This record gives sequence, C-alpha cells and structure tokens, in this order.
Amino acid sequence: MFNRISALLIRYKTISFGSFPRLISIFYWPSVQILFWGFFTNFLVSDSSLSSLGVLNIILSAVVLWDVLFRGQLGLTMSFLEELWSRNLTNLFITPLKDIELIIALILISFFRTVIGLTPAVFMANYFFDFHLFELGIFLIFFFFNLITVGWAIGFLVSGLVLRYGHSFEELAWAIIFILLPFSCVYYPLESLPWLMQKISILLPPVHIFESMRAILIENKVYYESIFKILGLNLFYLSFSIIFFISMIQKCRKKGLLINQGE
Amino acid sequence: MNYFSIKVSNLVKQFDKKKIIKNISFQLPSEGIFGILGKNGAGKTTLLGLLLGLITPTSGDIFILGKNIRNNKDAVLNQINFQSPYVELPKKMTVIQNLFFYARLYGVLNFREVIYKLSEELKINDLLSFNYGSLSAGQKTKVNLCKSLVNTPKLLLLDEPTASLDPETSIFIRDYLINYQKQNKSTILLTSHNLDEIQNMCSYVLLIKSGKVVSRGNIADLLKKNNFLSFKDFFLGHS
Repeated sequence: MFNRISALLIRYKTISFGSFPRLISIFYWPSVQILFWGFFTNFLVSDSSLSSLGVLNIILSAVVLWDVLFRGQLGLTMSFLEELWSRNLTNLFITPLKDIELIIALILISFFRTVIGLTPAVFMANYFFDFHLFELGIFLIFFFFNLITVGWAIGFLVSGLVLRYGHSFEELAWAIIFILLPFSCVYYPLESLPWLMQKISILLPPVHIFESMRAILIENKVYYESIFKILGLNLFYLSFSIIFFISMIQKCRKKGLLINQGE
Repeated sequence: MNYFSIKVSNLVKQFDKKKIIKNISFQLPSEGIFGILGKNGAGKTTLLGLLLGLITPTSGDIFILGKNIRNNKDAVLNQINFQSPYVELPKKMTVIQNLFFYARLYGVLNFREVIYKLSEELKINDLLSFNYGSLSAGQKTKVNLCKSLVNTPKLLLLDEPTASLDPETSIFIRDYLINYQKQNKSTILLTSHNLDEIQNMCSYVLLIKSGKVVSRGNIADLLKKNNFLSFKDFFLGHS
C-alpha cells in the first residue's frame, strides 16, 4: 500500500512542481487574493463620498468589463488549445491556411463567444440590480473593444507559449488574467496601489480603461489623455503578441514541433 | 505534367546540434507508389515533415510537383495531403463536419459531391453522423484517409497507413490506395514498418539509415543487385 501511495505522490509531485508555470501558479494565487481584497477594501473604506447604489454600479460595470477581457482571452486561447488537444494541429498546418487567417478566425470566434456569453449577464444585472451599463454611453463600445483587444493580446501570447513550450504553459491560460488582476485596478483606483505597483500598472491598458470608466461614472468626465494611452498601449501589445505568436509558429517549424503534436 | 513529383537536393535538418537528415538528395517520378523504409529514429517522420512544410530545413531544397516549397508553399499545399494514425481530427465534431471543414480549408468547390463519393468508396457513409472521437482505430484510419483525399491530391504522403489495423481493413486500404493511384495518376509516398506492405504496394523504395539514404531503387533490382532472396533479409542487412 505504501509503495502505491508513494508512487502516486511522486507522479503528482512531478505534475504540480515539475514546471515553472505550475510552480508560479501555486505560489501566486494566495498572494493575489490577499492583494486584491486588501486594495479593494481600502478603496471602499476610504472613499465615503460614494452612495451604496453608486458603489454597486461601479462594481457591476467593472465586473462586466473585466469579464470582457477574461472571456476575450479565454475564447481565443481555448479555441486554439482545442486544436492541440484534438491532435489536429498537424492536419491544420498542412492545409494552405495562412498564419494570418488563423489569427483572424481566432479573433472572430473570441469576439462572438464574448458577446454571446456576456449579453445574458448584462440583462440579468439590469433586471435584478437596476444596473445600467449603458450609462457609459459611446465609451462602453470603446472600453469593450479595448478590453477584448487586451484579451486577444494575452491570448496570442499564451497560445504561442503553449505551442512552443508545451502543456505546462496551459496553466497560464487560466492564471495569467488573475496575475494581471491586482495591477489592473479593476475595482479600486490606481492611487490605492503602492508606488512600485503603480509604475508597473500604468504600462497596462486595463488600468487606464478602468480609471476612465470610474471617471465617467463618478465625475461624469472623460480624460482624453487616457483614451490615447489606451489606444497606443493596445496597438503596441496586440502587434507584439501577434508577431510573437507567428514567431512561435515559425520556431516550431524549425524545431519540428508541429508534427505529431498533441496530448 | 511534372517529370518529378518530389525532388530533394542536399537536404539537411539539424535539431540543436543533432543532424537528423544528413544531406539527402533524391527524386521520385510523377506517378506511382513509393516507399520510405527505415528503423525507428532513422529520420522518416522528419523527412515527411520536411516534405509537408511542417519542418523548416536547415539547408537544401525541396521541389514538390515542380515548385520549390520554400517560395510556393500555398500552391504546393493545395496539391498535397497527408495521413497518419498519430494525427487525429477534432474529436467533438462529427465525421461529416470534419470532412466539410477540411474541404473548405482546401477550397474544394464541389465538396459535398466529392465527400459523399469518397465516403461511399471508403465505406464510411454510416459513420458520417458519428462524433469522430467515438470511432474505433480502424474507422478513424478510414476517415483520416477520406480527409487526406478531399482535395484530390497529386501527391499523397502516408505515415504508416495501416498501423494497428486488423488484416481485413489493412487489405481494404492497400487495395483502395493502389486503385486510387491508378485512377488519379497521382503519387503516393508512404512509410511503413510492414515490409510486405511496402513490397506489395511500392514500385520504388528509399531506405533510410541514421538520416541518410543508404539504398534506393526498384525492389526486385535491389534484391538482385545485393544477392538477397527476401525483402526482409535486405531490410535487416541494410538498415
């Protein structure tokens, strides 16, 4: 009995600690939880000017918009990983399919999955909590497309890593969004973060999106400087991630990883 | 018509510091069934990967149907196809969905007609509505073969086409491929560990050992030239 249990323990140890991304995810989760709830509670306690209805509206808007990013990334990554899990990648790459066609198809399916997934949630929030996402006006569309673009950028990055370095990076498909969460200032303002985290956060488009969202909902103001920052950062990250994804495909061609690739 | 279906010159593939394909050169006529033989690790699958454009060569040139694959990948990939028992189709889609999917990727215009005709010939009509993931190994092989024929390829590459199949299905697939090649005047290049299969199907073989072509030619001529009575002895003597 002892031998069998120890055999299983050795196997599970290899799975859990055998790769860097899995190791990171084990240590990262508890820290993320502490940081996230700590900053969020600080924000709620310190800002007494907000009414409870206002707080609810800000939180629900943030939940829905954050989910755009999450669904966008997951929709893209899962669609690509499905090809890997099906051991279908070889068949796909021997067709005349161009890399850019694969990229466009992944972006489109992610868009449809996100819209279909979020529509009922928005209507439910409206019905149960009198939540009006459309208070954000035309900027709702702007925020939606910019957050889903962040999701696509992360999706291409993760898909490229899984393709090149194997299944151990699959963990990132789920975890990476939550690695970004404390830095993205979804539920609390940028000033709530310590100085070092602020310096990292301003390099990420979600911070500027959620700051803009709060500015519209609380102050009824639009900061156009932030809008340009969002566009510039997103253009950079999406271009970089697509170039990275294509370079990973080329790297796999050089290393012979596209043949017989699978589970 | 191209005189050569495949022309490979000075092909080298090196992974990190290890050379898997060592300066291979060969050419195959535009019609016929040809075999690649070699022990495990000889470089057969790498060679197939190189011919399919799945692996980038370290150096050397590959001409498929007269076109250099380096500069004409799309045009080449439209005219070739591949089947392997180690490569599957999406499991959550039905057989017909899979076949339609691939026909669209290859831009086959009359794909419904082509697929229904192929599925009848391969006797998989009753499997079309089944999920691919629910099929047996033999059924999957037939469906994979059907997928590999949707674009009526001029060059068909097969990696162990009858591996792990029962004798009846193996014979059916061999006969089907022989007839298909004759009818379509195409080229089939296959790898197999089944020496009888190679001997019965192929008019010409390439024997690969440690990334090099060590012997090539018509099977009867090879046996005669090297004084071997059986193909098995020849293989064991050279590989």
